[in-house]
Amino acid sequence: MNRATVERVAVVLYGLVDWLVIMAPSLAVKLAADRGGLGDSRGLDLVIASLVVAVPHAIVAATRLRYEETAARSRLDVWIAAVDALVVLALATTLLIVTVLALFAEEHAALANRGFPIVALWIGLQLVAVALAEVTGRAVFRWLEPDAPPAGRRGAGGGDGVRPEPPSDRDARQPARGA
Amino acid sequence: MNRRQFLGAALGAAGTVATGVGLGGYVLPLLAREDLIPGQPPDIVLRPRAWTTTDDRVSFVAIGDNGSGGRQAMAVARQMAETYQRRPYGNVVLLGDISYYGRFEDRFTDVFVRPMGPLLDAGVSFDLAIGNHDEGLRHSDEAFEEIEAEIRLLRTPGRYYSRRLGPVHLFLLDSSRPGLFGPGSSDQLEWLDDTLASSDAPWRVVAMHHPPFSSGRHGSTPGAQERLVPIFERHAVDLVLAGHDHDYERTEPLGGVTYVVSGGGCKLTKVGRSDFTAFAASILEFLHVEVDGDRLVARCVQPEGQVPDRFELRARTRGRR
Repeated sequence: MNRATVERVAVVLYGLVDWLVIMAPSLAVKLAADRGGLGDSRGLDLVIASLVVAVPHAIVAATRLRYEETAARSRLDVWIAAVDALVVLALATTLLIVTVLALFAEEHAALANRGFPIVALWIGLQLVAVALAEVTGRAVFRWLEPDAPPAGRRGAGGGDGVRPEPPSDRDARQPARGA
Repeated sequence: MNRRQFLGAALGAAGTVATGVGLGGYVLPLLAREDLIPGQPPDIVLRPRAWTTTDDRVSFVAIGDNGSGGRQAMAVARQMAETYQRRPYGNVVLLGDISYYGRFEDRFTDVFVRPMGPLLDAGVSFDLAIGNHDEGLRHSDEAFEEIEAEIRLLRTPGRYYSRRLGPVHLFLLDSSRPGLFGPGSSDQLEWLDDTLASSDAPWRVVAMHHPPFSSGRHGSTPGAQERLVPIFERHAVDLVLAGHDHDYERTEPLGGVTYVVSGGGCKLTKVGRSDFTAFAASILEFLHVEVDGDRLVARCVQPEGQVPDRFELRARTRGRR
């Protein structure tokens, strides 16, 4: 397996982990409902709600990682930022849900009484968690790689016919630049 | 590795460990064992007073630890209403812990009126065995205020009392501290001993929150076997109902007494097996009890109507005065 293939597999795996992290709270609720003897459909709404957030974000996260791999001078910076983003995603997506549901139980029940779909609250909290993770990932990457072109300028660079140089070439040139 | 990389990697590593330990060991299991998702109440209209209670016939339901007002609590409550349609009953015995995630006074509608609405409209009465709500045998002013609110809002006659349901003499105990296990508990124990001794009912059922025998997360309640079991056995109690552990467990008859934990009213925790266990499962459920003459049939009913455990008892008339 050559290096490019390993990189692609790693990016796909990262996307899968990202997906699983977002799905975890809804799967925990669903599995508990199943174990308790509720019907198959109970808890499925939250699983679908998490899918709505998890699938696009897994693609976004994998795409971001792919871009950063091509733009960064050091592959280590890319993966440090990626792991930091994943940690924030895991903590935020679960803790936000548990905190909001546990601390404001009276308010949710009142909302549910008035027909407010709890699924909307679930999606909203997960979107906040995703936003926090994205901000973290990008900020850490920018902090580690201040010279890398911002993700937003990638398209412009492509339009000018300028592509980021492969990291291996850049890494190889580092000693010469310093000499 | 430069300084920034070291800091970023260290944060990532620390976060990964914290995430693995915190989420895997605590937060996700918490989400799985609690009932935090708000649910919709049962929208079933029941025929009022459809049950039949005579001197030798009665039906009732026992449910414990159902106070979340969440989705799982609503599913159990819905099945209680559906069971009423098939096998009507006139009484619900609440086995404690009837309000989680807030004070009962504030959550009365969410945790009681909404889920039990169809049964309340049908005229079903509710009895409460006080659970000390909910952290072990807590003893504080706050706990007492909570208990007073429960008694007032449910119009419960007192912290402990008995009532006759057809052929069943039902004893509802206050097993919170100091109710049964602390200073001053002798009053309730004396009352129980005397009232059981004077009962002429064919059936004697005791309801309390803390189980004398349990293989669940909390386990058997310290002191209960020493203080209560001799009284139960001396007066030939048939059935002891309890909650506290969020599961269902039935013992083999112990000294002639069958002990049931029916604490799967909305949350779930794991349950093991002990040498006294006849059946145990970590499931959402309530217990439906039918008494007809000298025969008692009890069914553990799950939210979709499954009956994983069913048992029969015969009245122990020989041991009575």
